[in-house]
Amino acid sequence: MISLKRNLPAILLFVAAIVLWETLVRVLQIQKFLLPAPSVIWESFTTNFDRLRHIGWFTAQEALGGFAIGCTAGIVVALATARWTLVNETLMPFAIAANSVPIIAFAPILNNWFGVDNPFSKMMIVAVIVFFPMMINTVRGLTLVDPAAIELMRSYAASEFTILRKVRFPNALPYMFNAFKVAATLSMIGAVVSEYFGGNRSALGVYITQEAAQFRFQNSWAAIIVACMIGIAFYLVVLGAERLTIPWHSSVRGARA
Amino acid sequence: MTQPVVTLSNVGMVFNTGSNNKTVALKEINLTIEPGEFVALIGPSGCGKSTLLRLIGDLIQPTLGDILVNGKTAHQARLDQDYGMVFQAPVLFEWRSIIKNVMLPLELRGYSRAEQQKQARALLSLVELTGFENHYPWQLSGGMQQRAAIARALAIQPKLLLMDEPFGALDEMTRERMNMELHKIWQQTQTTIVFVTHSIAEAVFLSTRVVVMSARPGEILHVTNVDLPIPRGDHTREDPRTFESETEVREWLRKANKKTINSAVER
Repeated sequence: MISLKRNLPAILLFVAAIVLWETLVRVLQIQKFLLPAPSVIWESFTTNFDRLRHIGWFTAQEALGGFAIGCTAGIVVALATARWTLVNETLMPFAIAANSVPIIAFAPILNNWFGVDNPFSKMMIVAVIVFFPMMINTVRGLTLVDPAAIELMRSYAASEFTILRKVRFPNALPYMFNAFKVAATLSMIGAVVSEYFGGNRSALGVYITQEAAQFRFQNSWAAIIVACMIGIAFYLVVLGAERLTIPWHSSVRGARA
Repeated sequence: MTQPVVTLSNVGMVFNTGSNNKTVALKEINLTIEPGEFVALIGPSGCGKSTLLRLIGDLIQPTLGDILVNGKTAHQARLDQDYGMVFQAPVLFEWRSIIKNVMLPLELRGYSRAEQQKQARALLSLVELTGFENHYPWQLSGGMQQRAAIARALAIQPKLLLMDEPFGALDEMTRERMNMELHKIWQQTQTTIVFVTHSIAEAVFLSTRVVVMSARPGEILHVTNVDLPIPRGDHTREDPRTFESETEVREWLRKANKKTINSAVER
């Protein structure tokens, strides 16, 4: 699946970028508060590892919780819209409009509603962010079905519910996994950024802003790297689930070949 | 007297194609198809032959006239799953293996899993796809996919098989081989087949009757009886009667096309 040979150029580029960064910071004597050297960030990462792990997990839980709530709600509403055209026609224009709204701007308001310290306020922001792409993609997958496939099912006198189960839902799975991938990335961004507007002391976003305010930028950098790692891990988990669930789909087939 | 499989009386179909636009797709179609017949529908593009097939299958409903399938209304026949359908595209579900695709209609009927598998295996052997049970549709060639679709249509042992240009997307060589296989299947299963095609050679080779339709509004212009001996095979293609029937169909198709040109001039 992941061959070293094929990924070698990417790995080399990564190493080269780190070396270049380290060298530039040292040669040009760039101030630590502007851009700390990778070695300095690494030092902060190792010395604060326990704390970073703790706050990273705290924020990851918010992201995961929001992901679960938002995706479930998105799928449920999508199934309802596929079942009742009226729901579809009423909701879809709003969903598409809402999808282009910067929902993160509502973070202070949701903090106010559910309490700044309460991780639930962050989960709700993540859930709202994740909801719209999830719903829109699922609706697409449920409705963009080969008309001949529907005719075939009708020739078997299949009910709407059977068609949903046997045709529409499997047809929607690749669309849903696309949404899961988008949602995985968005949920981590949403959780960290909403913490910038205030949150629990043991949250990643709060740590990043507080350390930055005290000019300990190497600590902020280390925490950002933790956020990146969680985000990437989350994405890879979804990718793995996709390969297990829809091995038949062309996108997965292509990746495997 | 045996009961006809399909009876079309005065069937007409008008599509609403806009606020004040109406397209007359079919006009005064009268046709009776007896058990065991192989009837080909041929005509210019857009003459409504596919529409006619969908009407028989109750996938759309006629604006005029009556359709009886096995002595029942087309609607009841669909609910009773009296027919199998094969489309131009194989319409196999990419998330199901070949055998699972063939099992689908049996699954919908609530057969036990063992029974589904047993019947599907027999059908796959009938269409010569043994060994490809666990392949996925995208791993098969177009011709093999269409054979799987035929196996699926035969799964419910229908008295009637509706085929909408099933070999239209295949190359000439594959098409001839598929024609031979379909002919064998027709003989073995004794299913009545209604077959939409563009190809005169295919229509004559397979059919007992060829129905020539005119351009829109689609009407039956002529019915050619093909009395070539059965079973048919390579020898059939060299039979002078093949040539005669093909010529007859071709001449009527020419008239059908003339009507298209005339009506275009009138407009």
